[in-house]
Amino acid sequence: MVLPAVLVISVIAFFPLFKTFYDSFFEFGLRPDIEKKFVGLKNYIDLFHDERFLAALKTTVIFTVVSVALETVFGLLIAVIVNQPFKFRGVVRAAMLIPWAIPTAISSQMWKWMFNDQGGIMTKFLEKLNIIEPGFPILGSPNTALWAIIAVDVWKTTPFMALLILAGLQLIPEELYEAARIDGANLLQRFTKITLPMLSSTIAVALIFRTLDALRVFDVVFIMTRGSVGTETLAVYNRVLLMDRAFTGAWFGYGSALSVIIFLLISIFAIIYIKSLKLKLD
Amino acid sequence: MRKFLLAVLLLTLAVVAFSGSRVTITMTAGAVGKELEVLYAQLDVFMKQNPNIKVSVMPMPNSSTERHDLYVTYLASGEKEPTVLMLDVIWPAEFAPYLEDLTADKDYFELNKFLPGTVKAATVNGRIVAIPWFTDAGLLYYRKDLLEKYGFKNPPKTWDELVQMAKTITAKEKNMVGFVWQGARYEGLVCDFMEYLVSFGGDVLDEQGNVIINSPAAVKALQFMVDLIYTHKVSPQAVTTYMEEEARRAFQNGQAVFMRNWPYAWSLLNDPKESKVAGKVGVAPLPAGPGGKSAATLGGWMLGINKNATPEEKEAAKKLIKFLTSYEQQLYKAVNAGQNPTMMDVYKDPALKKAAPFMVELYGMFINAVPRPRTAKYSEISDVIQKYVHAALTKQTTPQKAIEDMAKELNKVLGK
Repeated sequence: MVLPAVLVISVIAFFPLFKTFYDSFFEFGLRPDIEKKFVGLKNYIDLFHDERFLAALKTTVIFTVVSVALETVFGLLIAVIVNQPFKFRGVVRAAMLIPWAIPTAISSQMWKWMFNDQGGIMTKFLEKLNIIEPGFPILGSPNTALWAIIAVDVWKTTPFMALLILAGLQLIPEELYEAARIDGANLLQRFTKITLPMLSSTIAVALIFRTLDALRVFDVVFIMTRGSVGTETLAVYNRVLLMDRAFTGAWFGYGSALSVIIFLLISIFAIIYIKSLKLKLD
Repeated sequence: MRKFLLAVLLLTLAVVAFSGSRVTITMTAGAVGKELEVLYAQLDVFMKQNPNIKVSVMPMPNSSTERHDLYVTYLASGEKEPTVLMLDVIWPAEFAPYLEDLTADKDYFELNKFLPGTVKAATVNGRIVAIPWFTDAGLLYYRKDLLEKYGFKNPPKTWDELVQMAKTITAKEKNMVGFVWQGARYEGLVCDFMEYLVSFGGDVLDEQGNVIINSPAAVKALQFMVDLIYTHKVSPQAVTTYMEEEARRAFQNGQAVFMRNWPYAWSLLNDPKESKVAGKVGVAPLPAGPGGKSAATLGGWMLGINKNATPEEKEAAKKLIKFLTSYEQQLYKAVNAGQNPTMMDVYKDPALKKAAPFMVELYGMFINAVPRPRTAKYSEISDVIQKYVHAALTKQTTPQKAIEDMAKELNKVLGK
């Protein structure tokens, strides 16, 4: 049974990965008059001199760190609340998943309209609170666009975090809390000494899932701003290189190098999490 | 069971044999406004006239950028479908290696009767790779009623006049902005920028393909776009997020005095069911820059044939394109879908004058529309222009610096 599994994995996962690695050492495009040329590490060196790449890298890291941190905190909070017994708990648990259940392509467009300057409900709301002046383009300003996108991502993905953490919470035996109560531990102590340690592997898995997702974020950014006003992430830039420029120049190797960097970045984060949280993978 | 299979096989063979010369071709199509409806009606006529050709339509996303991506996938994979491709006016150079050479068929398509600018846009290195289907040019829409109310007899002739009129009117009208246009970072921004650039006396590339963007005229043009938003305040800051439809919505809800947009907006603005300003809208050429020159960007779509199609399919495709670009069908499309003909004679037809008078009145503008840079690297060039113009419009850089950096990067892209 091992052999077929290895075979399937190598065909669907390793082959494209190695092909991308391999391609990243060449200069080529889809234009018929461009010959594929071996250039060694040139693509990587060029990338780190490419201001647009560096800006996208910075944006991606900011997006990832801020959105994942907020999603984890809010997710934990919500999970603890809906883990308590109360009326209509089932309904609340189901309803809470709605933002996550809506396809990102649709919810991003919906939020884009809500941030619209002409009658967008979020714009009107922020105007009423005197946070922005009337007609201010939230998605058209370098000071606000990235934060608006992060807000949408937090709105969308917090339920997913909450759900994962809730599953972890339910695995903690009730006896532990009872014993702690008898020993006189208060709410905060019970949370920090029992809940958090027992949850660490769940949170680690959730963090890995979310971080890996956030590092390759594409849809919400592409739909809301197409990467303008300083919101271009690595995946959005990669799309420009591999799709918009497929027939115009020799960008495929460069785009492959960028793909490899996204892959490495994700691996680094994954390894840090696994090591620091002493996660057992087997 | 075996007998049954045999029967099915024979039946299939019979069907194939009898339908013999029947060819099926596919074509891509857009669905903006009434475009698709009109095309289906045209294809019904075509298939009745040519019973041995079946045309199936592949509707495409409305956004030109997304269509581009689909075409990259189709063409790069070497598939023979779609047979007929609807191509944006800026794509022929990029897609030329994958398109059938139609140079030898230019008499068959009567290209000498077409607007020269559109034929030029379909010509790559002397080879004709597509046939112009309909054309577009940037227009200035204005509120006739408001201009009259404040004593302006004519629409603005220069950009300065536009600013003055917009200021006068918005000072007294409530909830009204002066001028909306396409300022989001996408292809449409390049179209708008070209109009300011050329009307101020600049250009992106010269005839030899050298980068000539770094000029005082270009800086002034970009400065003027920035001033529209921040100094004159006639355009809302949010134009930096507007595409065609956002601008049209603001204008047709009665929230703007002037709008830059394409001809397609005309019929929608004058539809009383949808528009609050129906009957109050005028349309004029875009204002001129300081040198007295007015410029409109050439837009539009053409039809090309996939090089990987079989010879029979190519023949059928040529028949279809000939039909769709014929006088009668261009007139039908112009009257019913509001899309400008590419054949010059159609503009003289009384039926067109009745349905879309401005198309006839502004004929001179459509014929002189300014092309965007013509090069196989257009997508890259457009990307660079979008990036720096948008950065200036959102005050991330100054117009001076934006133009300088743009020139540097364009030179790099073109390998100069």
